[in-house]
Amino acid sequence: MMGKLLTADFLKIKRKGLWFLTLLGPIGVVALQMVNYGVRKDYLLQQSDDDWGYFLLNIHSFTPLAIVLGIAILTSFMASIENETNAWKQLIALPVSKLSVYLSKFTVLAILLFLSSTLLMIFTLSYGLFLNLGEPVPYLELAKFSYFPALAALPILALQLWIASVCHNQGIPITVGIFGVIFAYSSYVLPDWMIWKWPSLMNQWDEPIINVMLGVGIGILLYIVGMIDFARRDVK
Amino acid sequence: MEYIVQTQNLSKCFGKEQAVSNINLQIRKGEIYGFLGPNGAGKTTTIRMLLGLMKPSSGTIKIFQKDIMKERIQILANVGSLVENPSYYPHLTAYENLEALRKILGVPKARIDEVLQIVRLKEAANKKVKGFSLGMKQRLGIAAALLHNPELLILDEPTNGLDPSGIIEIRNLIKRLPKEYGMTIIISSHLLSEIDQMATQVGIVSKGTLIFQDSIEEMRKFAQPKVTFKVSNSEKGWRSLLANGIKADYHDGVIFLEECSDEKVAHIVQVLVQEGISVFRVEEEKRSLEEIFLQMTAGELTI
Repeated sequence: MMGKLLTADFLKIKRKGLWFLTLLGPIGVVALQMVNYGVRKDYLLQQSDDDWGYFLLNIHSFTPLAIVLGIAILTSFMASIENETNAWKQLIALPVSKLSVYLSKFTVLAILLFLSSTLLMIFTLSYGLFLNLGEPVPYLELAKFSYFPALAALPILALQLWIASVCHNQGIPITVGIFGVIFAYSSYVLPDWMIWKWPSLMNQWDEPIINVMLGVGIGILLYIVGMIDFARRDVK
Repeated sequence: MEYIVQTQNLSKCFGKEQAVSNINLQIRKGEIYGFLGPNGAGKTTTIRMLLGLMKPSSGTIKIFQKDIMKERIQILANVGSLVENPSYYPHLTAYENLEALRKILGVPKARIDEVLQIVRLKEAANKKVKGFSLGMKQRLGIAAALLHNPELLILDEPTNGLDPSGIIEIRNLIKRLPKEYGMTIIISSHLLSEIDQMATQVGIVSKGTLIFQDSIEEMRKFAQPKVTFKVSNSEKGWRSLLANGIKADYHDGVIFLEECSDEKVAHIVQVLVQEGISVFRVEEEKRSLEEIFLQMTAGELTI
């Protein structure tokens, strides 16, 4: 049943700009560094002995913001496909369980998010090689900086999808999304327990993996809570 | 007799408001069941419960002899529905809209062309639904409901917002389905004339309760004719009829009687003439189903 729902959901996101956004996010993040390194490459290379590491840190300074913003927009688009003409009632009157309907939406968004991360990794690597940052290329670090923020952002995805699919007024998830972006922007001053801080991979122990584990754990938890609430509600 | 749809004391409350109370529907195979009621009587709420979109506050629903709460997915595999305004994905074409549903229902691709043919949308198949007229969207909704060739078709106000030719078209389509495909149809409406022309069984809801459920012929029996007398001096005539022991009513200068045999009419005319009153017209007025419907749901009327 999941496979059928997924192919249907991928068909429904056609012409909605979701694929475009998935592409735009990583391009934007890398493009900012293209400007940065394009203007003052020599100065930036002087800042650190580890040119690749410094480059990755620069890339990473915008990744959390792009992810939080991207998630807010993608979830809202995703929910709007069903909300626009209240197609929820048509979808749920089909022989499918409500849980799998919700899981399918979440899966599509997660796939888009990880596609975006993969693209980020490819673009970062390409531009890094173009800048000639030297050997060896830190592939492991590169993968960490590409996928960790997305994994740490899973709770935000789960929360935004929950709000977007139970609120008929799309102003609410958008508002939450905007606050999320503001929070993500001010990660430095946020306490460690705020989920919007996690994609920045910062915490008091300086261990990014903690954010990833928290992200996956709390992400699953929030997903389950959202799914149960979605299934419990009457379809208007 | 087996019922395709059977509800028992079906009730639904929204907070303190009782939207549906103790509805017992009984719908047999091959019927076109007209579900009638004024706006806000609880029709849509009942239909949403039948489709498992809402959970009943109390009572049970059995479709194909199965409990909707327990075997929802198996039941819905044989139910097609169109609830209120048609739902569609405006950024997709008609074909893609049906394809998105087809993937979930798992029916062959050729079925899309078939249903588009049935609702006559074949020419518009590759146009975005955004630009469709309301009638076309409504027909697309019906096509979607027919996609998996369901045994039970539930249509909630399918002719809402359609122009007369669209209404006739959909009516003919609906009448055809039970004969050609052996479907059972539940169709809700607030317009009795609609139901009158299609339904074989009628259920009337008012303020959340089912106040009538029987065949349309039974309902027509309520349409008792009344006989009106237009005479030269109606008030005098009415008094003399009463004086002669005939229970007549007088209203707006017309004398009228309900349930009148031929002999009684003859007797009345005789009495009136003897009193020296000229009888201009004796007319039989059939009460339309509309009037009966209004009378049955009288409590609803505020205007």
